[in-house]
Amino acid sequence: MEILQLIANGVMAGSILAVPAIGLTAMYAVLRFPNFAIASHATAGAFAGWTANALFGLPILPSLLVALLVGGLIGLVTDEFVLKPFRKAGFITTAIGSLALTIGLENVVRLFYGNDLRGYDLPLARDIVVAGIHVGPQQLHNIAISVAIMALVFGFLTFTRMGKAMRAVADNPQLADIKGIDARTVGRIVSFMGMGLAGIGGMLIGLDSSIDPMTGFRAMLPIFAAAVVGGLGSVPGAVVGALVVGIAEELSLLALPASYKSSIAFLAILVILTLRPQGILGREGN
Amino acid sequence: MEIYILSISIIACIYAIMALGLNVMWGMAGLVNLGLVGSMAVGAYTSALLTTSAGVSIPLGILAGIVAATLFGAVLCLITSRLKEHYLAIVTLGFAEAIRIVASNEIWLTHGTDGISGIPGPFRGTVTTFQYNLIFLAIVAVIALAVYVFCQRILYSPFGRVLHAIRDDEVVVGVAGKDARVFKVQAFAIGSGIIGLAGALYAHYTSFIAPELFVPLITLYVKLSLLAGGVGNNRGAILGAGLVIIILEGTRFLVPYIPYITPPQGAAIRELLLSAGLLIVLRYRVKGLIPEAHDHLTVRPAVLAEAALRRQPA
Amino acid sequence: MNRRSFLAGTACLTASLGAPAVLRAQGSVLKLGVLTPLTGAGSQDGPRMLKAMQAVVDEVNKAGGVLGRQVALIVEDDQTNPEAAVRAAQKLVGVDGVPVIMGTWASAVTSAVAPVCWESKTALMTVSGADSITQLPHQGYIFRTQPTTTLQATKHAEYIASTGAKKVYYLAVQTPFAVPMKDIMANVLSGNGASMVGGLVYEPSKTSYRSEIDRALAAKPDMIYLNSYSPDVTVLLKDLFRAGYTGGRLTQSYAYNTKVAESLPAEVTDGLVNVQPSSDIDSAAFSLAQKRLGLEAPDSYEAQATDWASLALLAIEKAKKATGTDIRDNVRAISQGGGTKVGSAVEGLKLLREGKDVNYDGVSGPCDFNEKGDIIDCRFRYGLAKGAKIELIKVV
Repeated sequence: MEILQLIANGVMAGSILAVPAIGLTAMYAVLRFPNFAIASHATAGAFAGWTANALFGLPILPSLLVALLVGGLIGLVTDEFVLKPFRKAGFITTAIGSLALTIGLENVVRLFYGNDLRGYDLPLARDIVVAGIHVGPQQLHNIAISVAIMALVFGFLTFTRMGKAMRAVADNPQLADIKGIDARTVGRIVSFMGMGLAGIGGMLIGLDSSIDPMTGFRAMLPIFAAAVVGGLGSVPGAVVGALVVGIAEELSLLALPASYKSSIAFLAILVILTLRPQGILGREGN
Repeated sequence: MEIYILSISIIACIYAIMALGLNVMWGMAGLVNLGLVGSMAVGAYTSALLTTSAGVSIPLGILAGIVAATLFGAVLCLITSRLKEHYLAIVTLGFAEAIRIVASNEIWLTHGTDGISGIPGPFRGTVTTFQYNLIFLAIVAVIALAVYVFCQRILYSPFGRVLHAIRDDEVVVGVAGKDARVFKVQAFAIGSGIIGLAGALYAHYTSFIAPELFVPLITLYVKLSLLAGGVGNNRGAILGAGLVIIILEGTRFLVPYIPYITPPQGAAIRELLLSAGLLIVLRYRVKGLIPEAHDHLTVRPAVLAEAALRRQPA
Repeated sequence: MNRRSFLAGTACLTASLGAPAVLRAQGSVLKLGVLTPLTGAGSQDGPRMLKAMQAVVDEVNKAGGVLGRQVALIVEDDQTNPEAAVRAAQKLVGVDGVPVIMGTWASAVTSAVAPVCWESKTALMTVSGADSITQLPHQGYIFRTQPTTTLQATKHAEYIASTGAKKVYYLAVQTPFAVPMKDIMANVLSGNGASMVGGLVYEPSKTSYRSEIDRALAAKPDMIYLNSYSPDVTVLLKDLFRAGYTGGRLTQSYAYNTKVAESLPAEVTDGLVNVQPSSDIDSAAFSLAQKRLGLEAPDSYEAQATDWASLALLAIEKAKKATGTDIRDNVRAISQGGGTKVGSAVEGLKLLREGKDVNYDGVSGPCDFNEKGDIIDCRFRYGLAKGAKIELIKVV
């Protein structure tokens, strides 16, 4: 019984990780570097959503939209003016640049909002018990939001012109270029979308807990673990990876002290990558 | 004032040694490692534990720290040898975090989050604080110089040339009949050992270590040191470390001149300046202060190697 | 700290730097060092401690300063990181020449900067909880206003038993004092007709603790002791509420203060008890701090920060000199013994100038130190969460 409850808890934790992990993996697919700035953009989105919700009294769903827009816009601007020039210098340089950027942005948030914890204006609900497993209505709500976002992203990638172009650039930039797809436009859109998803992810995390300038940074490694376990560059992989990481961390309580929890995510990475070096759903050559 | 400058110079030398170690694995052999703080921790903990609990002398302790970190590097490289470099970035980062978690939890061995205090330093307590800092700076500067000479020797040795070849095109090395994996493990182990040495020196200088010391931020600083100074270049590694420390410490003195802010805002602005400073250095010195080509070795910069790797269909 | 006081401080400082050396020798500014987390894991607590110290300094400056000099706080951010903290401490000691460093929070940070302090003969005042800190060979330079693990665990366990709780669960974030505290509490509880039904040390900074809470609730406790800091406690309280827990909850006042209360819905926190070291219930120091900080219930860290600034300034006035060694040698002379009881620095300074002896009884307790630099004893103030307010239950 405890196992089932732990798995349920893992699914709840994982479904929140999935949204920013999709953003991260989509950016990786097109731009080809691990973007550590996702941490600060998640924080920025969380604070934008908080401003809309707690200061301006907007309900949660429109506030999530604000988180998406602000996260996305900051993502677009910082990628254009800060990270893009690094890209020709290689992926590690760009990744290091994004780490330095994330410190800067975290402190922009700190400068304006201070360090105090902030909570969203949202009544808390007690868990409901389904077949002996207790789950939170807010967590179910979050899962629904995550699933809806995943569906939208899949739909966008599969059915729209821009989505197809994005996949083409991800598959083969040279070929896409020949076909007349502007890789720069695709890059901008994926930056907006990826960081917008990070913004939503930051706010979803905040709905569960509370927010402060370190919110995104605390979640960064699990988000990366999710994207890597699932296979960098694979959107369905990010979802699978998030669930694997979420569930593995909770299940670790059965065998290890709780203080070892996050090392399990790394163990999961190591085990899965040793068996499948490209991640669960990643493709060879990525 | 003098002690402050001495102390900051010591830290700069320790960063420089780490940047030199990173250069062996990354600059010379093109091996990605975002977890170098893990090697630092292994070196620091080994030397600290042996000198405090087992009564080992400081030089022997440091030597053991180097050996332990070298072994750690070799094992890490073997475990991750099948992984693609983009994955390596995350896996090594995670590995270093795991080291920190183990150090926090295995209290019987590491004293847990309490940390280890009272780690001896050369002549500490028998000389004045000024003299102690002066002596330590001399020691650490000589060691940094020795590591520099050692790394230069590697760079121009046949071994170094194989590393360059691996970095530029691993397949060619295989065709030439060399087992690239053996060379990679060696490079990673040597680099890790040098970083472990820096960790041990840090432990003996400050006399205290704890798991919270070994956070990814230090990896970032060292990475930036090497990037700023020039990847693949040993002189650049030293220069870059100095530059990073100047940015880290210099921002401290700028903030009090900004009017109308509270100290917490000042702290945020300082980190903002730090981030901007590092990004600007990175942006305008992407090839490093001293480009690798000046070393008269006709090798392409690491960045091109990366591009080459990325082009290859695996 | 308000903008005006900071400006005034900065203005004094810049003026003093710019003034010729001869002028500086006379009424120059007395610099005290503050090294506290303004970024990183401790950043919820550092700014509040700083505010409390600045409030004392402002009050003293308004009343004429110390030894005829105005006082300025030189603030550095320890980034909640031992490496950054050591560099910052070297700067405070080496460049500013401060006689005291106040405000370190994380135990690792305090242990890391402690050697810098005692080697440069600088006093160090801290809230860090690890018992190992005052056991360092610090030559008397460390003063810790945070009660020791033993004192806290004993008194808190006695209180819990007195509320009628029988089955206590212990939930703590991983810190040096997490496990020792649990063991002492378990002992005291069983000696007082209650028992500890389980304990769990968890990892900080996770976004959810549902499984940890499930573990705790499986032991069917009627009281849960939350030994952690505000970001985690916020998550734990929410997850406890979600899981339907209705029993008692006790936590530290720094983890649940009025600021944190504002970020949580009332139904989640109502009935929670918070605790902090304190002086007597009718303590003058506490009501002064309430007024000075504009807070109904200054928390444990704000209380201790108030006391550091007061102790340092009183010790300097008593010694008539402002070196770290003077502070070390005179703190006990103004904080314990037979002098007139005072609850604020201004009051104490006035008496000292008149040549009288004082005994400072602070906001966080009587501030009587043993030879290791730990406080000897204190009472504990228990508060009840009601909406965004914290109502006094009692001081024992």
